[in-house]
Amino acid sequence: MENGDVNVIYSVQHQLPLVMYIGQYFFFTGLSAGSFVISVIATLLGRKEFKPIGKITAILAPALLIIAPINLIADLEQPLRFWHLFLYYNWTSPITYGSFLLTAYPIMGIIYAIMVYTDRQKAAKVLGILGIPLAISVHGYTGFILALAKARALWNTAAMPTIFLVSAMVSGIGLVVIIAAVRWKWFDKKATPETRDQDKKLILQLATFMAYIIMLDLFLILSDILVLLTAHSDAYEAGMLILTGNFAPLFVGVEIILGSIIPMILVLGPTRKNMTAIVVASILVNIGVYAMRFVMVIGGQTIPLS
Amino acid sequence: MANKRYAMVIDMRRCIGCHACTVACKAEMAVPLEVNATWLKIIEKGTYPDTRRYYLPRMCNNCTDAICARNCPTKATYKRDDGIVMVDQHRCIGCKYCIASCPYDTRYVNPLKNIVQKCYFCSHRVDAGLQPACVETCPTKAMIFGDKNDTKSEVAQVLATNATVVLKKEMQTNPQVFYISADETVMSNVEKDINYRTEGTLIKIRI
Repeated sequence: MENGDVNVIYSVQHQLPLVMYIGQYFFFTGLSAGSFVISVIATLLGRKEFKPIGKITAILAPALLIIAPINLIADLEQPLRFWHLFLYYNWTSPITYGSFLLTAYPIMGIIYAIMVYTDRQKAAKVLGILGIPLAISVHGYTGFILALAKARALWNTAAMPTIFLVSAMVSGIGLVVIIAAVRWKWFDKKATPETRDQDKKLILQLATFMAYIIMLDLFLILSDILVLLTAHSDAYEAGMLILTGNFAPLFVGVEIILGSIIPMILVLGPTRKNMTAIVVASILVNIGVYAMRFVMVIGGQTIPLS
Repeated sequence: MANKRYAMVIDMRRCIGCHACTVACKAEMAVPLEVNATWLKIIEKGTYPDTRRYYLPRMCNNCTDAICARNCPTKATYKRDDGIVMVDQHRCIGCKYCIASCPYDTRYVNPLKNIVQKCYFCSHRVDAGLQPACVETCPTKAMIFGDKNDTKSEVAQVLATNATVVLKKEMQTNPQVFYISADETVMSNVEKDINYRTEGTLIKIRI
């Protein structure tokens, strides 16, 4: 602003429309989609040592996706009217896609979990392959919810759905690593030393995979920020808001340093064989992704529109 | 005969910043406390003795390409044939996605009814052949409302013979509230710039 003294005498700004319920919903669908993809990979590879992971994640995916929409309904001003979403759909709204995806995906996930647990490999594989696009779209559409809300410069970028998908993968793998490590530590006593070693190796492999996806996530965030900073003025403000503004501690501190760089060092650095370090990394990753949801949903709305 | 297309022109050369439009709107539409369907934005520019206040009456632009109507998941927000963007208060579920999508911050959650509302150009009055409450109240006749497709209407003639601007043209929404002689600073995102300059941070968080 270069035009001398300007004071706002009176202006109206309405409350933030979307609160953290929405961010939490994004977080839970992300976890669910991530763990479903891991489960299907385990099923498709079909090796015996992958089975425990495949089973844990098969149950996690639908369970998390039953929690997620509760956040959405709690956020509605008229929760008892949620059925309007199905009766009065609007095909140009990403929320309409979401309401149908959020119905189809948990049903699919439950059937898939039954197939995995009853050891019907062929059916599980077919359902898994069919389910992956569904899992990706269930989480990808949440990125479109933000990207298509044109008014907010932080959201309105083409990178948004991809960033959401990739960070979902990161947090999903993180959760699987935590649960698999807990199982390995306390609930795996009857297993022979060989299978315990195998399980440990598997968990370490998963963590390495997570570190590579964190790299992809960091690259996407970098490209998003670079374009924000060089695009129009609102986008520049949005970029500066998360880089140096009020959301910098959460974005740079928690999301980038605590939630991405430190876990990457823990998983790929000298502590890469240490189970505790890897669990700590997975917890940090989940904190980082939760902070990312907060920065995106709340931060995107805090720039005044008038 | 083309369809009706309602539009409003606000002549800032005539506006005296009296808030009568805000009050009329509050009374006519029973807008609760804390929220506004119409309001007057006021800024002050310059240092004494060279200062002046600039006004900007704000309301829903009833955009031709309304992002809110496109994004509403239940079609509770819809466009009438005459261009007025409506909210069906029995259908709205209050997901607030329209508020997040609106570049003009003109939508609000009615804290008494728990649904989203906004300015409808007083559609009930327009249907009865009256002018919107703010237009009828404006003591300096700064607001002109009518069918811009009807070449004999005042609004069409004023639009054709004056230099007009709209808010945030870059959003591709095609707003139907036009301003004559509005100041660039008051139309811009001035609050954002001021916070950035005076406090070193962009925004005060308001939840």
